[in-house]
Amino acid sequence: MPLQFDIGQSSLTGPRDRNEDYVGIVTPESEQLSIKGALIAVADGVSGNAGGGEAAEMTVRTISADYYATPDTWQPHTALDKVLTAANRWVQSQANANRDMAGMATTLSLLVLRGQRYYSAHVGDTRIYLLRENVLKQLTTDHVWDRPDMRHVLKRAIGLDAHLTADFGEGNLQAGDIFALLSDGVWDSLGEQVIHAGLAKFDTPKLVAEYLTETALKKGSLDNSTAVIVKINTIGKESLSDLIAGGKQLNVPPKLIINEILDDFEVAEIVHESRASLLYKVKNIYTNQLFVLKTLQPLLANDLDSCNGLLNEEWLSKRVVSQYIPQILPLSTEKRTKLYYVMSWHEGATLQQRLDNGHHFTVAGTAKIGIELMRGLSALHRLSIIHRDIKPANIHMASDQRLRILDLGVAYSKNVGKFEGALNQANKQSSNPGTPSFMAPELFDGIEASEQSDIYAAGVTLYHLLSRKYPHGEIEPFQHPKFGEPTAITRYRPDIPAWLDNIIQKAVTADLSKRFETAEEMLLALEHGELKPLTAQRTPLIARAKLVKWQWIAIFSFIINILLLYLLLVS
Amino acid sequence: MAYGWNNVFGLALIPLCTALAVYLIFAKDSPDTPPAKSLSQYLAILKDKDAWWFMFFYSVTFGGFVGLASSLTIYFNDLYALGPVKAGYCTAACVFAGSLVRPIGGLIADRVGGIRTLLTMYSLAAIMLVIMSFGQPTYVMALIVIIPTMAMLGMGNGAVFQLVPQRFRKEIGVMTGLVGMAGGVGGFYLAASLGYFKQNTGSYQMGLLIFAGLAILATVGLMGVKTRWRTTWGSSAVTAARV
Repeated sequence: MPLQFDIGQSSLTGPRDRNEDYVGIVTPESEQLSIKGALIAVADGVSGNAGGGEAAEMTVRTISADYYATPDTWQPHTALDKVLTAANRWVQSQANANRDMAGMATTLSLLVLRGQRYYSAHVGDTRIYLLRENVLKQLTTDHVWDRPDMRHVLKRAIGLDAHLTADFGEGNLQAGDIFALLSDGVWDSLGEQVIHAGLAKFDTPKLVAEYLTETALKKGSLDNSTAVIVKINTIGKESLSDLIAGGKQLNVPPKLIINEILDDFEVAEIVHESRASLLYKVKNIYTNQLFVLKTLQPLLANDLDSCNGLLNEEWLSKRVVSQYIPQILPLSTEKRTKLYYVMSWHEGATLQQRLDNGHHFTVAGTAKIGIELMRGLSALHRLSIIHRDIKPANIHMASDQRLRILDLGVAYSKNVGKFEGALNQANKQSSNPGTPSFMAPELFDGIEASEQSDIYAAGVTLYHLLSRKYPHGEIEPFQHPKFGEPTAITRYRPDIPAWLDNIIQKAVTADLSKRFETAEEMLLALEHGELKPLTAQRTPLIARAKLVKWQWIAIFSFIINILLLYLLLVS
Repeated sequence: MAYGWNNVFGLALIPLCTALAVYLIFAKDSPDTPPAKSLSQYLAILKDKDAWWFMFFYSVTFGGFVGLASSLTIYFNDLYALGPVKAGYCTAACVFAGSLVRPIGGLIADRVGGIRTLLTMYSLAAIMLVIMSFGQPTYVMALIVIIPTMAMLGMGNGAVFQLVPQRFRKEIGVMTGLVGMAGGVGGFYLAASLGYFKQNTGSYQMGLLIFAGLAILATVGLMGVKTRWRTTWGSSAVTAARV
């Protein structure tokens, strides 16, 4: 069931010459509505001369178009922040370029409604109110100077300052919620009591909006009066899987044999087989082009979660257009008779296969892999996608030495992959998927995977390539280990230079505050390499030993003291 | 005061009836009970290699534990000519040790990993069983060997059941049943084989040695499981997430 709501708006010029308020409402359909949501924006242009209306209009227009052009994997706030910053820059540059536009700026309050939540962004003195269960709440704070004579002078607005700071808010939606976006012409002359009464007066948002603006002018408002009223009828209840599958249930194919044909593809060989998935190298029977076909093990045919997982994986992989990720062949669900997806084929081997074949990874080679891996990771992280399963088996090095990150099977984007219900503690611990030896220590405590946990996995990968060991020892599934200091890689490979040792050490440390924060940071460190080495951070003995060890030493020496005392008295 | 053995069963009825009454009044089905499955769905889990291995693992640990527990009274009585009461006490000591350490086994498995724990337990138990098979001159020395053996098997029980619910999260109901059954079968086998070899060869050695061999087979199986488990665990949370 998608989100359903009614919107009504009214914008009156009032006694002024021009209406410098601008309203933007975007209500997309189906998938776009579920992933990006509906956007409602009210801007109130300000300027000494002509530019105010232009600023308001252009800001709302660019934002409502650009927001839907941002990657689907971005969270609403990330996307809004980006488009607001761009709009701010645009308004500023226009004001600087044209003399008659000088000083133009605009307030902006916008609301994104999506699924079960609302997201707001706000600068200036337009207000967003929420009426829920007969309680009226103002969701925004006016950015005006707190002095009686400067109540209408904006502290923050789009176009006012080179550096824009917007307020972001979010919360859960409830059926029956009424949102009101009101320009200062309305709220200033009406006051909260009249607004509250007005919102409850009519059932139709359109009538409410008209009533509020007209009443505001009647009460002597000298400004443009704009009101947008949104009434939530039902909140969205669908999951990404519902959307992608579109109600059509595809079945897992039986295990295919060589030369068997499935739809347009002929199986050439089985590339990989794991507990859950099966990968075939396939040939398009019309074009003879080679691809990889990924499907599930027939054993999981009745496991709905795994089936949906594969569709989600395809959806997510499609959003990543990068040379570091195998590209998905666009195939509509109608063209497929079974559950699978197809991606580009690359000649070569995974790093795990190279390890198994006894390949010796040199310092220079590993540093180069690290650099490429970080570039790939940062491409994913820029899209707000966390891979969660970086390991040698998921890194492919093609015959042309190009590195690709494989398998977004457990990857998630912060935008669509978040459980919005609260997870209880017991679920939490098991909710982080991944390969145990490559999972960051914080994941075992149920903390959500982040960019830094991907960096940890990448660090362990480099460590493993060089030494075939793990910095914190091999970790088994279902184990809840204790993490201390990682073993220095120089213990296994004394030929590794200090600069690389330090970089790997910094990536695999259990302490989040000491680990690289972004892939770009680690990339830079690897690129600088020997020229600008990191300083090693050694934990002092007292910190390494933790308090409990000292307590044991104290208890032990206390016992010895008693014993000695006893011996003294006896003798 | 003596009640006679048939009255013991009568007395045992008292707590049993109390439990039944409490259960009838207070027990309710969990609000999120998974839907009932058909028998074929239950048995689908048997296509999974791990299921068979875990049944075997438990048949060695729990089977060894139960099998020894039921044979030890006769063992002590037979080899060291202890009276039934004293033999009973010795057996009780062994069983007690084996039961108490079960949670410790779970705890160790949680910290250092279930497979690693089981590998250690099986190897140590195999060594102890081989030592035990050669027979000890006095019952005190026998106890010194048997108590650690029982402790290893007991901790192994704990470790197996640290892994089973996590590995077979979705099939937990049927798997606990199957694994428990395998444990019972293992116990039956050990007790029966000890008696069989005693009767035919005059000593327990062969029975114990074969059992040590099973423990070694379990370690080999564990190695395979260990390699197979070096893979991605858990699934993407995306499927259930609302957009």
